[in-house]
Amino acid sequence: MTFPLDSGRDCVRAWDLMPWALQDSAPQEQVQWLQDHLVHCASCRAEYAQQHRLRQAVSLPSDIPLDANIGLGRLLGRLDTPDARDWRGRARSGNWLTRALVAAVLIQAIGIGVLGAKLGSSGGVPLYRTFSQEPAPVAAGTIRVVPDAAMTLADWNALLHRLQLQVVGGPNDVGAYTVAPNGPASTTQQALQQLRATRGIRLAEPVYSAP
Amino acid sequence: MNDADNDADATDRMLLQRMSAGDRVALGVLYRGYHGRLCRFLSRLTRRPDVIEEVINDCFWIAWQKAGNFHGDSRVSTWLMGIAYRCGLKALRQHGDEPVEDDNLPEQRSADHDQDEDRELRDWLGKGLDRLSVDQRAVIELVYGVGHSLDEVAVITQCPVGTVKARLFHARVKLRNVLPALAGEPSKQKENVP
Repeated sequence: MTFPLDSGRDCVRAWDLMPWALQDSAPQEQVQWLQDHLVHCASCRAEYAQQHRLRQAVSLPSDIPLDANIGLGRLLGRLDTPDARDWRGRARSGNWLTRALVAAVLIQAIGIGVLGAKLGSSGGVPLYRTFSQEPAPVAAGTIRVVPDAAMTLADWNALLHRLQLQVVGGPNDVGAYTVAPNGPASTTQQALQQLRATRGIRLAEPVYSAP
Repeated sequence: MNDADNDADATDRMLLQRMSAGDRVALGVLYRGYHGRLCRFLSRLTRRPDVIEEVINDCFWIAWQKAGNFHGDSRVSTWLMGIAYRCGLKALRQHGDEPVEDDNLPEQRSADHDQDEDRELRDWLGKGLDRLSVDQRAVIELVYGVGHSLDEVAVITQCPVGTVKARLFHARVKLRNVLPALAGEPSKQKENVP
């Protein structure tokens, strides 16, 4: 910007101050300084006089013939149109609707997170099995045995120890145990024969992993 | 901002609060209170009365919708002027190149109502403002007419204070060069601009 007056820094300062002095918004000491400067600076005095006239001219009422009451009537009519009422309704409910949507998304996210954490903590093993899933693998050589109800625990334990078998499942609802050989010395077929020959064993059948 | 400005702003805020609750009487009070200054401000952007009324009503329509969102970051007058300025620029883009219809010209009213001195002053200013850009005319009106500070004009026009300062400076320089000649005095353009 190029300053239009010929004079020095005081005139630049005076130029900057003029609008605010005319507005009565400049501090009193600056207004006083400007008045003092104008006394001995003809150029700034002329400029200030013109600025004063400019302010007077700009402050005149508008010469555009507009009636406020007519305009207000049209505005009120416009507010009664359905579009305006809808717009205002949307403006008022906009924040509420946005907050409700955000809350719903947050609740869903938290729910999914909790569910995921719960599934993760269960080790990934579901508590159910579908028909399409492979059945739990059965160790080779396992035998399903149903001992007689009169067989003592000591006799049962002694039998398992003698045949080198160990219980790997059961008893189920009908009292059947699943046993498996626990040593290389015992074969399934031999154990099966001996179990069937033992008094107190009502049933001994091999378990096959596939039908 | 003096005490009178503070009182006026407090009243305006109360009116806005009532408007946010749907009080149309408050809207009417605010509308009538600002109609004159908005009309004059917008007349610096366009001379078409129909466009000016449309912009004023657009401005108050927005104020009615958004009254509840006014947080008091600025004076109500600054807020309203900002809305009017943006609506005015939008209207200029839409209607700026349309001719003014004869029955919309404001000449009749000014001839009937103005004193000779006022009419002369108004003509003098009008010819000077014709040399300025829309932005420069707006800043002259906001500073000299409405009495806003540079910061407030920056808020209204949504541009940096430095830009407002530059617009004011260049507007003043242009007016300084043309207004004396329009008043019958010799122009200072050549002799004073380095």
